[in-house]
Amino acid sequence: MAKRAALYGFLALILALLCLVPAFASDYVVSLFLDLLMWIALTESWIILSGYTGYISLGHSAFFGLGAYFMAMTWTHIPYALGVLSGGLVCLAFAFAIGFPFLRVRGPYFVILTLGLSEFTKYLFINLEIKLGGTVGRILMMTPGLETLYYSVLIVGTGATITAYFVKNSRFGIGLFSIKEEEDAANSLGINTSIYKWLAFGISAFFPGMVGAILALRRSYIDPYTVFSPAVSFQVIVMAFLGGFEDVEGALLGAVVLTLVSEALWAQYPYYYMIILGAIVIFIVKFMPLGVLHPIKQRLLKEPQ
Amino acid sequence: MKDMKMLEARNISKRFGGLMALEDVNISVAQGEIVGLIGANGAGKTTLFNVISGTYAPTSGRILFKGREITGMRPHEICRRGLVRTFQVVKPFRNMTVLRNVMAGKLFGKDRVKNLEYAREEALKILEFVGLAQKAHVLARGLGLADHKRLELARSLAADPELLLLDEALAGLTPTETVEAMEIVRKIHEKLQITILMVEHVMKAVTGLCSRIVVLHYGRKIAEGTPKEIAENPEVVEAYLGESIEA
Amino acid sequence: MELTRILQILSAGLIIGGIYALIAVGLNLIYGTMRLLNIAHGELIMLGAYVTYWLYTLYGVSPLISMILVSAFSALIGLIVCWSIFLPIIKTSKSAAVLESNSLLIFFGLSVIFSNLASLLWTADIRGYSYMTKVFYILGVPLMHNRLLAFLVAVVVCILSYLLLQKTMLGKAIRALIQDREASQLVGINARFIYIFSFCLGFAMAGLAGCLLSMFYEITPFMGLPYTIVAFIVIVLGGLGNIFGSLMGGFLLGLLETIGVSLTSPGLRPILSYSIFILIILVRPKGIFGRGVY
Repeated sequence: MAKRAALYGFLALILALLCLVPAFASDYVVSLFLDLLMWIALTESWIILSGYTGYISLGHSAFFGLGAYFMAMTWTHIPYALGVLSGGLVCLAFAFAIGFPFLRVRGPYFVILTLGLSEFTKYLFINLEIKLGGTVGRILMMTPGLETLYYSVLIVGTGATITAYFVKNSRFGIGLFSIKEEEDAANSLGINTSIYKWLAFGISAFFPGMVGAILALRRSYIDPYTVFSPAVSFQVIVMAFLGGFEDVEGALLGAVVLTLVSEALWAQYPYYYMIILGAIVIFIVKFMPLGVLHPIKQRLLKEPQ
Repeated sequence: MKDMKMLEARNISKRFGGLMALEDVNISVAQGEIVGLIGANGAGKTTLFNVISGTYAPTSGRILFKGREITGMRPHEICRRGLVRTFQVVKPFRNMTVLRNVMAGKLFGKDRVKNLEYAREEALKILEFVGLAQKAHVLARGLGLADHKRLELARSLAADPELLLLDEALAGLTPTETVEAMEIVRKIHEKLQITILMVEHVMKAVTGLCSRIVVLHYGRKIAEGTPKEIAENPEVVEAYLGESIEA
Repeated sequence: MELTRILQILSAGLIIGGIYALIAVGLNLIYGTMRLLNIAHGELIMLGAYVTYWLYTLYGVSPLISMILVSAFSALIGLIVCWSIFLPIIKTSKSAAVLESNSLLIFFGLSVIFSNLASLLWTADIRGYSYMTKVFYILGVPLMHNRLLAFLVAVVVCILSYLLLQKTMLGKAIRALIQDREASQLVGINARFIYIFSFCLGFAMAGLAGCLLSMFYEITPFMGLPYTIVAFIVIVLGGLGNIFGSLMGGFLLGLLETIGVSLTSPGLRPILSYSIFILIILVRPKGIFGRGVY
């Protein structure tokens, strides 16, 4: 119990420090932390569906983009906070609307179905934008300051992490893990598998919607190619993979490590950094197929408690 | 109450494309019975279990559980009413501990326990009951076949069944393990007062445990009676092509 | 609509459909034998197109010769990738689910490397060249030589690979592996060899498709992903692991797209094909032609 209290104290301290970042750090550092928190929010929300139930989704970029476009279309019409929240709710509603038929599809079919979904939404918005405005991109003006955006991402990132943690350690979470292990047995044991997957899908879509909404304002220019880019989904999967796919703390670590590594690479080798990143991904998957956190965890578990 | 029908499957047929897997099968189980379901491979035993437990909807026919219609319900709804099945090929949640496996049954079965701590205590009691308590914290994938079968039983018991469908709970076990497992099944029936319908190939177990036996052959019911009657039924003997039923 | 217009649409649909089939058969071969979803398939097409382009513009090598060179080059990449990465991870993967997600990540890594390497080496400029642009008429329908050539090559290669699977011992072994991995290993099929063979053949077909496409479409470092997705659409139409289905699915998608676009507008082409894709996967996830192994 004392150990747990110490852990909570430690986490509270980190959160307090994160709150203080804009007060004493440079704009560059604040932007970096904003990026970090954004990827944390995306990765933690991704594992709620894909990590816990094993339904590997490439659809996160669809929700990210939807949130961004919702914000772009409503900005200057509704207050900022409401816009962010609604961006999340729109994605939640969208996920709920398509959830039942989509989640009947398993394994590789689900992977390519969700890839198709994000490409579909991308081209839908390309055509929609051409119809509506004649051009594909949108410029957003009078966006909130860096500090406001930072605190919003901090809230969303913390919210996603806490949600992932509580879902994992709840009755609901045990149900989701049972689905991942043996879906038919889970169903025969009284778990309403379709509703459980559907709920996880919705929760998982809520956070990228909000992140997308905030990021649209942060970038102040968006177009469908960048916000619906499958690279968003893949980067999230890589982060989740680094942390072992189903771990709350692993996802956190994966997001931090990959964001920092790509930041460092980008600063050092702006032309090669994507190539190096690709090579690193292949290297790690090949030599640490269970993620980088796994060997460390194994060692910790072996020690006497 | 003793004569109350626990399960009644009336005129069940199941067709897969051109194949008639079950044809007009009637089967009923009274409260407190252990009924055996036997037949050669492909006779339709597992299909019948799948239909009763809601994995497949029957092509025609009705299923009543405790006098209430359950035809066409989904597996989780049927489980929550107190009809729980095990799988012929065991399906443990491999990357969860043995304890968590059983907790899942407690949390989502008939009781729908909301408190994890309580579910944990109850799950430990059930593991004690099937003799798996010392392995509570092992990952399920690390167990051997005999323990997997026990886990399958424990997890179904945690769902608090009134009727338990056992699909070859003894298949693949060594003679000693078979005797132990039979003892557990007997305990489930006597101590927990759970009615059992079991598919089994191990004839010693069927004749030793069951008060009544139903024989399926190519999707049809060809005989029903006490173990002794079945052993002497010429049609059954012929269906088994001379295999010794006493074996 | 007059008859020539209809014939024109049909021929355009069949031509692009033939190339779709070629792309999809290659992807499906790798999925069928190894259960790996090759997200980097389109990047092989991209590389094939670039190699053909440079050989033609720098050294005047005819794309006809490049077809062979590019196929060999792509097969070599397939050999290296399969040998150095996939054979080891197939061996060490604890479960099918782990292999599935990990191979997805590796292919993603490869696609990032290939496309960014191309962009670094050759810039992101849109490139193209003209070759065999003479037009001739069949039943009043104008056709360019290069498209007809691409169509014929694609269809012949698809049919050859189909015959290979149907008629040869190697093909039978591949089909057995597609149908049941464990059982076929029990009867002594050398899975390692078949994995490498499928990888090389699959990659070679992608490279060849790139070579053919370069004769009449633009080339960019990031042209690959849409083709990867097209290939997925086709194999979903025809059934994962079903080679004959991919062949038919390619033609079907080519025709549906061309007809759809001619009725609406070119901008709607992706939306159209993704709608078909999502619809098929939801309604008939096993594909229109089922999961038979033909």
